[in-house]
Amino acid sequence: MSDLFRMGLILMVVGAVATAMLAGTDAVTSGPIAEAKRQELLKALRQVLPEGFDNEPDRDFIVVNDKRLEKQGAPTTIYRGRKGATNLGAAYTVVAPDGYSGDITIMMGVATGGTITSIQVLSHKETPGLGDKIVTTRWPDAFKGKTLNNIKWGVKKDSGDFDQFAGATITPRAIVGAVKRGLEYFVENEKTLFAQAAPVEKVAKEVKP
Amino acid sequence: MSETGTIIKNGLWDNNVIFVQLLGMCPLLGVSTNAINGIGMGLATTFVLVGSNIVVSWIRNFIPNDIRIPAYVIVIASFVTMIDLLMNAFFIDLHHVLGIFIPLIVVNCAILGRAEAFACKNNALASAYDGLATGLGFTLALVILGSVRELLGSGKWFDMDVMGSSYHPAIGFILPPGAFIVLGFILMTVRWFNLKRAKQQVSPPSSHCALP
Repeated sequence: MSDLFRMGLILMVVGAVATAMLAGTDAVTSGPIAEAKRQELLKALRQVLPEGFDNEPDRDFIVVNDKRLEKQGAPTTIYRGRKGATNLGAAYTVVAPDGYSGDITIMMGVATGGTITSIQVLSHKETPGLGDKIVTTRWPDAFKGKTLNNIKWGVKKDSGDFDQFAGATITPRAIVGAVKRGLEYFVENEKTLFAQAAPVEKVAKEVKP
Repeated sequence: MSETGTIIKNGLWDNNVIFVQLLGMCPLLGVSTNAINGIGMGLATTFVLVGSNIVVSWIRNFIPNDIRIPAYVIVIASFVTMIDLLMNAFFIDLHHVLGIFIPLIVVNCAILGRAEAFACKNNALASAYDGLATGLGFTLALVILGSVRELLGSGKWFDMDVMGSSYHPAIGFILPPGAFIVLGFILMTVRWFNLKRAKQQVSPPSSHCALP
């Protein structure tokens, strides 16, 4: 019995020392991790938002729920780019649930008036060499400058205007569909998107480094 | 040969975790789609191996035999979490590539295997050498497998086009089945090479097929 007790004690000591080490590492790294994540988000936003914004879009955001953006209307964050009092555009993610394998998350930027500035695939699980051409080629550039009306939305196989890849139609089709839904959402809600104030609490929390 | 030399030779080749012991298959097959991933995963594993081997060697005399496995697992898991956090904070680009594979290092049985087979019986310095050599041997295997798969599967090597534009990549080699096929051929080559060498030396190396 005392042997059992001793072993438990030793394991407890090992666990306690390991926990202390991890707590120390976390204390050192949590600041840099938060900063690195923020820089990364800003970088992604800079790539898709219209050029010339002078606010901090990662702190000027609203959270919405819409089935067209996220599966089952899960919350989506909409980041807004403004120059002074002028609204330039918004950036947000859309999820394409109908890719070849798993969800495809796309960050899209739309300028006021409903013109796409740029899209970027953030995460996907498509087949390497086939569907992953959405990140290895310049295919997403085809979306630049498109509105709901100046192009036929759909891949060529569906008599639309967007290229598909040889051997991979499902992936581009999913993305075209998701971006179209995202754009429709923007056009419908454009006025209210820029009017709402950013949630104060969350901003305050994020300001703390 | 000196003792340190033997340890290093064992880890790198004679008792290589992949080619001879066939341990740590899961991260090997998962990340070896190209050579760069192989190097990153290999070095991260090497770091964990050296760290866990040293600590296991330090505490080997305080830990009763019955609870050594849970104690070692705590040590290994702590090192992996630390490297995960540090990488996330200071090498975020590398973390993007390897992020989902880092937790896999915990279940890489090569690490627990070295703790069990070597670190719990030897001093810290020898254990550190063993961890380093085993880790580099693992890295070697990952880079070889990753290079072959990248060359055949996407016509590139370290992200550089080397096969020319007329080469049509065989996608199968990047997909999971390709990993098994290439690994099989590499194992065949390594064994053939070792058998040939053993014949020349007359006395066959005893470490072959001897699981620790």
